Amino acid sequence: MIRLENVTKSYSEEVVAVRDASFDIAKGEFVFLVGPSGSGKSTLLRLLNRQDRPERGAVWVAGRNIVDMPPSRVPHLRRNIGNIFQDYKLLLEKNVFENIAFAQEVIGRPKHVIQQQVPAVLELVGLDGKEERLPNQLSGGEQQRVSVARAFVNRPLIMLADEPTGNLDPATGEGIMRLLDRINKTGTTVVMATHDQRIVNTMRKRVIQLDRGVIVRDQARGVYE
Amino acid sequence: MLSRLRYTLRETFDSFRRNATLTAAAIITAAISLLGVGLTLLSQHAFDNLLARWEGGVEMIVFMRPQATTDQLALVESALESQNQFIQSWSYCDAECSLDEADRVLAGEPGVLELLTADTITTQFKAVPTEGTDVDLLRQLSSEFAEFPSVFDVKFAEDQISLITQLQSFFGFRLLLLSGFLLFAAILLIWNTIRTAIFARRREIEVMKLVGATDWFIRVPFMLEGLLHGVIGGALASAGLWAWNSQWTSGVKEFPEGSGFAALVVTDGYDKWVMVIMLAIGALAGAIGSGIAASRFLDV
Repeated sequence: MIRLENVTKSYSEEVVAVRDASFDIAKGEFVFLVGPSGSGKSTLLRLLNRQDRPERGAVWVAGRNIVDMPPSRVPHLRRNIGNIFQDYKLLLEKNVFENIAFAQEVIGRPKHVIQQQVPAVLELVGLDGKEERLPNQLSGGEQQRVSVARAFVNRPLIMLADEPTGNLDPATGEGIMRLLDRINKTGTTVVMATHDQRIVNTMRKRVIQLDRGVIVRDQARGVYE
Repeated sequence: MLSRLRYTLRETFDSFRRNATLTAAAIITAAISLLGVGLTLLSQHAFDNLLARWEGGVEMIVFMRPQATTDQLALVESALESQNQFIQSWSYCDAECSLDEADRVLAGEPGVLELLTADTITTQFKAVPTEGTDVDLLRQLSSEFAEFPSVFDVKFAEDQISLITQLQSFFGFRLLLLSGFLLFAAILLIWNTIRTAIFARRREIEVMKLVGATDWFIRVPFMLEGLLHGVIGGALASAGLWAWNSQWTSGVKEFPEGSGFAALVVTDGYDKWVMVIMLAIGALAGAIGSGIAASRFLDV
């Protein structure tokens, strides 16, 4: 599903965010990217959805090298990738339903499909009955659930999560992880950047560890070290 | 398709509401500049009406009595031919041609126009002098023609005509230049309004890009917004032009007959064309301003 071949990405001559990274992620895998702040986790995620392009190497997503992908094809790539962020990135003037529907609306899904799929995904994330609430009327955990619902509503092949539990208390974070695990069990590949040791140690999934842009460990059923 | 259209319209009108002050400023500027363009075109047309009978270098017109016979017309023709060293060419404007011309020249005096028929209107011989012909000689010629019994009057393109021509050119150019500057300001204002709208919605745009919306899908509501600024500006300017022209036309009717203002009105439907032109220019200005902004500032 995802393959990186000798990928290097730098922001300046001094700042090399990712250095000569290579790995394969199979369809349906759940992978943690771990490492301290500034180790290159978020940059790796940005490379996977073509928000950034590397100077060297190839990034294969769903069988296509996206480094050379023409800009006009990038939106189609992104329709297969769901994104979750630490700060949720919800639209504050839209209610829960509208925030999720927005992800379908902007790719041209018909209204009847939206009316059918949004309630289903709201039920999946445990927010049924809260469709009319605005984001600022929800707790942090609920806001992150809306963000997960928005990322999943188009049934992406891949889910990229950048510190999704970073702003949440441990109990709420666990709830989000259970949700991501459920989504992963539907066959969606999940790649999650985190430095939450407890979560990584509890889940026991594959761990790719980065240190100053270099992959220093790639371990199946790994723990945080 | 329908959902995209619904989305585009909703986002466009939401943006209007959010940016109300800037939107109003852009529309008003567009309206004023387009009104300037419209008034310039209209005044040029009114001047053209005033000068209608002097088109093509005509400097002397011999007006024949309506009852003039074929022989009397032939007499004037041969007199014009005999002066070929001073008169380069001449043409005869019969009753039908003269009625058409009267529609323009007497547009502001409908009462007089009503009285004119093919039997009552004076027909005309229009003479173009040879290049370099002395003005005083032309004056002398015109007084000679006035003595023919079938001739009603002889008009000479006096200094007044060249003054009107100069005025037309002076005001036309400067008004158009001023309107051009205002239109440029309107484009800049529309550009800035769209830039502000994009900045205000940068979070939404970021989410849209991440979920796979195409650049065109994101751009279209902004471009439509700019286009509407121009079109609404054009519509307001058209309403202003219509009001201005109606007031002027009815005002001219109150002037004394023969005051010279009768031709300075536009009643032949040309004002409708000017309105269409204003709407088209408004739409173009809006599309240019918003198109540049939407292409340039989408990377938020």
